[in-house]
Amino acid sequence: MLFWRGENFSLERLPADRSRVIYPPEPLAGIEDPEGAIRNALLNPMDADPLPTLLKPGMKLTICFDDASLSLPKMRRPDTRQRIIEAVLEMAAEAGVDDVHLIAALGLHRRMHDYELKHVLGDRIFDAFHPRGTLYQHDAEDYDNLTVIGETEEGEVLEINKRVAESDLVVYANVNQVAMDGGWKSITTGVASYRCLSFHHNPKTLQNTRSLMDRHHSALHKSLWRMGEVLRESGPQIFTVETTLNTNTFPKPFDFLAKREWEWNAKDRATYLATQKSLSAMPVKARRKIMHSIESPYEMTSVQAGFTPTVHEETLQHVYAQHLVEVEGQTDILTMGIPYICPYNPEGVMNPILVMCMGLGYLFNMYRGKPLVREGGVIIMTHPTYRDFNPVHHPSYIDFFEEVLTDTTDPAVMSEKWEKKYAEDEWYRHLYRTGNAYHGVHPFYAWYWGAHGQQHAGKVIIVGGDAPTVRRLGFTPASTMNDAFEIASDVVGRAPTVTHLHVPSVLVADVK
Amino acid sequence: MANPYMKRAQKLAGKAESAVRQATTPLRNFGFPFRAPTVPRGVEVPPEASGLGAHYNTDWARRPLASSIRGVITEGPMRLAARILTNPEVTGVDRLASLQRLETPPPVIFAPTHHSHLDTGLMIRSIPLVWRRDLVVAAAADYFFNKKWKAIISALALNAVPIDREVTGRKSSDMLVKLMDKGSSLIIYPEGGRSPDGWGQDFKGGAAYLSSKTGAPVVPVFIDGTGSIFGKGMKRPKPGSTKVVFGAPMWPEEGESTRRFNARIEAEATVLGDEALTDYWSARSRAARGESPSLTGPEHTSWRRDWDLADRRKLGAAGKRRRAKRSWPDLG
Amino acid sequence: MRALQVRRNVAKLGMARIASAVSPTMAAKMGPLDLRTIDDPSCPGGTNATGWHQVKTRLAGICGSDISLVEGHASTYFEDWVSFPFVPGHEVVGELESGQRVILEPVLGHAARGLPLPFEGASPADGDDYAHLAMDSNGGALEAGIQTGFCCSTGGGWAPWFWAHESQLHHIDGSMPDERAVLVEPLAGGIHAALLSLPSLAGIENPVVAVLGAGTMGLAAIAGLKRYVPEARIVVGARYSHQQAFAKALGADVVVPDSQLQSAVRRQVGGMVVGGQLTSGAHVTIDAVGSNSSVVDALAMTKPRGRVVLLGMPADVTLDLTGLWHRETELKGAYTYGTETLADGSTAKTFDLAVDTANHFEAERLLSATYTLADHVDAIAHAATAGRRGAVKIAFDLRTGDS
Repeated sequence: MLFWRGENFSLERLPADRSRVIYPPEPLAGIEDPEGAIRNALLNPMDADPLPTLLKPGMKLTICFDDASLSLPKMRRPDTRQRIIEAVLEMAAEAGVDDVHLIAALGLHRRMHDYELKHVLGDRIFDAFHPRGTLYQHDAEDYDNLTVIGETEEGEVLEINKRVAESDLVVYANVNQVAMDGGWKSITTGVASYRCLSFHHNPKTLQNTRSLMDRHHSALHKSLWRMGEVLRESGPQIFTVETTLNTNTFPKPFDFLAKREWEWNAKDRATYLATQKSLSAMPVKARRKIMHSIESPYEMTSVQAGFTPTVHEETLQHVYAQHLVEVEGQTDILTMGIPYICPYNPEGVMNPILVMCMGLGYLFNMYRGKPLVREGGVIIMTHPTYRDFNPVHHPSYIDFFEEVLTDTTDPAVMSEKWEKKYAEDEWYRHLYRTGNAYHGVHPFYAWYWGAHGQQHAGKVIIVGGDAPTVRRLGFTPASTMNDAFEIASDVVGRAPTVTHLHVPSVLVADVK
Repeated sequence: MANPYMKRAQKLAGKAESAVRQATTPLRNFGFPFRAPTVPRGVEVPPEASGLGAHYNTDWARRPLASSIRGVITEGPMRLAARILTNPEVTGVDRLASLQRLETPPPVIFAPTHHSHLDTGLMIRSIPLVWRRDLVVAAAADYFFNKKWKAIISALALNAVPIDREVTGRKSSDMLVKLMDKGSSLIIYPEGGRSPDGWGQDFKGGAAYLSSKTGAPVVPVFIDGTGSIFGKGMKRPKPGSTKVVFGAPMWPEEGESTRRFNARIEAEATVLGDEALTDYWSARSRAARGESPSLTGPEHTSWRRDWDLADRRKLGAAGKRRRAKRSWPDLG
Repeated sequence: MRALQVRRNVAKLGMARIASAVSPTMAAKMGPLDLRTIDDPSCPGGTNATGWHQVKTRLAGICGSDISLVEGHASTYFEDWVSFPFVPGHEVVGELESGQRVILEPVLGHAARGLPLPFEGASPADGDDYAHLAMDSNGGALEAGIQTGFCCSTGGGWAPWFWAHESQLHHIDGSMPDERAVLVEPLAGGIHAALLSLPSLAGIENPVVAVLGAGTMGLAAIAGLKRYVPEARIVVGARYSHQQAFAKALGADVVVPDSQLQSAVRRQVGGMVVGGQLTSGAHVTIDAVGSNSSVVDALAMTKPRGRVVLLGMPADVTLDLTGLWHRETELKGAYTYGTETLADGSTAKTFDLAVDTANHFEAERLLSATYTLADHVDAIAHAATAGRRGAVKIAFDLRTGDS
């Protein structure tokens, strides 16, 4: 079975009689004329008036778009967001709108580099708006530019970007690669403040989120939808554009990775061996560079626009159509290979905290109904887990690893004891606002993302990781998969059933 | 010191002449068939079909051997020369992405603005590979095909097909339609010829007509800067930088006349020109207001046209030398 | 007697220095230190004969300054302050003829040299004038030398016995094992450095003291801080895991790998990082490493108008002092011990504080290995690479009667 291990892969043996493998579904066909489909969606929206009728001269138009954490990996140019925004801008130009701002809705993520903005928006839009200062990135620590819209019935305060709040029309360009994103989440997290986010980005909410990909059983999404109501009542007019992608993740040299192992022909096997050997021979930095240069040939499978909740329900149909895999029951052990990239390290290093976040946060949560592994079961992940951090992108992660994790790995304890200090640290704030660093509190959120998985599993084992680092995460290190099964037998006995999650590409297991 | 050489050359020529004369003396006594016949009185010899100009047959250039030779020339020396002379910045190719990624990309009619002979080489270099492989250029019959050697080079290196400039003759357009049906894409210059004064000329309907005939989309392309590098009337090319902006593919609408479609193509090229020199958003905004600066320039004559042309050129890539600009310190 | 002796040999010193780059064992073999049969030293009392005793060595520690000398790294500064040939060894617990066990306070001060004390109750290292250390005294019987262990007249700890003046001897009772007593001298050095931080911490709430390096001297400084500067938050950067463990055991508040010390200090005091330097920093940083880079690092993590205490003996260091000038940092050397002024204003002898501290922390934990004089090459090599090999203090054990 093919397992990802950071910037490389390995083949592991799983017990034959007791294992099952969950493969992602075949990629659906993409729309042949994406520009036409987008125009059509803008002219025939759901539960809203056609976009040209909403555009008037002299109005304040703000276009927000998903940041570099989507898509993973980045897609070939032109990006979906470029197509959407160009279509919107053309209509805006027709209508004579002059005051247009484009805002990267990054929440507490890091600011995007110029080349990332160019990749997502295309050179035309970048060259037209960036020099004028009308293309910029949301700053959650700029208190002069945040306003409170209102409060939900549970006392959650919705505080968002001032320009967004005061616009006549806000268009949001979504790339809905996974079921977690989109809907009311886009604006209530993407252009919100730390105060606003702390109402739902906390251990308690996330432990009750079962799962991140299933909004109807997610405490996180319930909170977001409550805030969405406030937004609908007291916020600006919002025109949402959502698009879904197929799972065409790998370009030519790497497309054997998407095939199931029993489909590999001689050429694929040779390519795999050659790739794996040459990657192993390279230093980590070179490997990382190659991996991060992958541009996925994703194709758009649907586009809908208009009133946010209606649009989102339609989008979810398409997302699930591509991602859902029916699975019968749970097993004792869940195995997965952790790739080199997660939403919080595009173009960067996957540090140990993000390994936990990707494994127990994202991959564990790719289910609907019940998790793939039974409660108290064992999760086995493969990743080199080196103690390496990108000091430009993740400065607060370095300190989190040294200071917080040496003290506790319990999300509830760390949120009480340490979160405030990191959220208010001047240095991290400075780097978030002026550099390309994630917000000081972000490592906590990455950790909370895995809180449900951490709570659910009886033991978590990382194969191939750096032992002291793995222990600091609160997990058990193992050198080989066999050793991992040995260690697991303490918890699940000698003949456990095993599920292997064959990612990427993305999938959602519908577990009965 | 030309004279001593001239003298020597003459002497040599003289010697050669006498040698030939001596060798051909025996033949002088013979007539036809060793010598050309004379025409008897009263007979009028009809003129032969010239085989050049619009009638030149370029089929041979599409045979496999010629195609591979052309492939080598295109990908090698031509691309290199294009880069050295014109240092192009190519944008807008992502507008063609959807067409490019289809299973079988359809043939496309590229309709660039035209200021220099370099335009064709530049286009061939900038067009994405899926269309570059099978590309035909419509070239002016009276310029490129009036001499045999010119015809051969044009056909071989550029896969050029002769067309009549003023009137799209039946023969040329049929030939082009046939080639496109076979899958070739086409480069045709709607302005008909290179700009004589640096400003653009009105678009003729050839591209629009062919599009409605074949169903292939028209992609307008704005090329900026080649006029200053090797414009009409220049003896030698002056290297500089250029900008190539591809537009979005355009199809004729239901029942649209060729003339209307052509006007639409010209309007799009105008906006592209605005985009190339300023930015995307300003260009679109101005287009919506009807304020796009015209490619054909102002209505004035003589020096004022040139004056405005210089202003326009300052905005673009024309004549920008690769040498770093001197930056003088601010002493004030 | 058979003892380890350092003879002045420039060539050997040079070779040792070069060899030390390859391995400390090579340096020890090639260096100027050798086990030889030497003449028994005669009483250095001379005109001041009373008060001198012969001390039989029980345990003698190996110190960083000894290694520096033996490996040829020591600065030429000491040319005038040592007299060749000498027997090294100044961290000694020994035994008098009467059987009374004593700890040596090695500085050859005024009393030993028959000179008036600088003030009532002064310790050997006290005083404003160091002249007597570099001159012959006692009518020539006692040559120049800063300490026993650097003086040719007294002998030194790396020998079966040596001469010591009563002003240098501290009596200990049976409750203190030898292994603990041999740590007293280094502890005194650490406590002295720790107390040198007091002036800079006066009147400060929540002061932070950073300690760079957790070898013997660093750990001694931590012990001193914990006991005598209790209000300070101690942040330690230690390279090896056993050093980190010891630092934590001694009561340091935050212990991190040495490369992380700057970030750890920043986490404690706040502030930002500009140009690789903290904009604020620790109130006092104790540099217990003493290398080129450690001084630079210490300056980078000390707050403006803070103090850097140099505990480890540095040699020739190239330093850009612009940062120090800009930040008005104090650079203070910490040498041995003497009479201290504590936080509450009382005075005490450092050695007494050190005995007290050694008993409190059970300092014998820090003694990692002992060797006989014959194994001096291994002993020096072990001491030179103590950190990497999981050791802290190495000592010579002469109790079995080595000859």
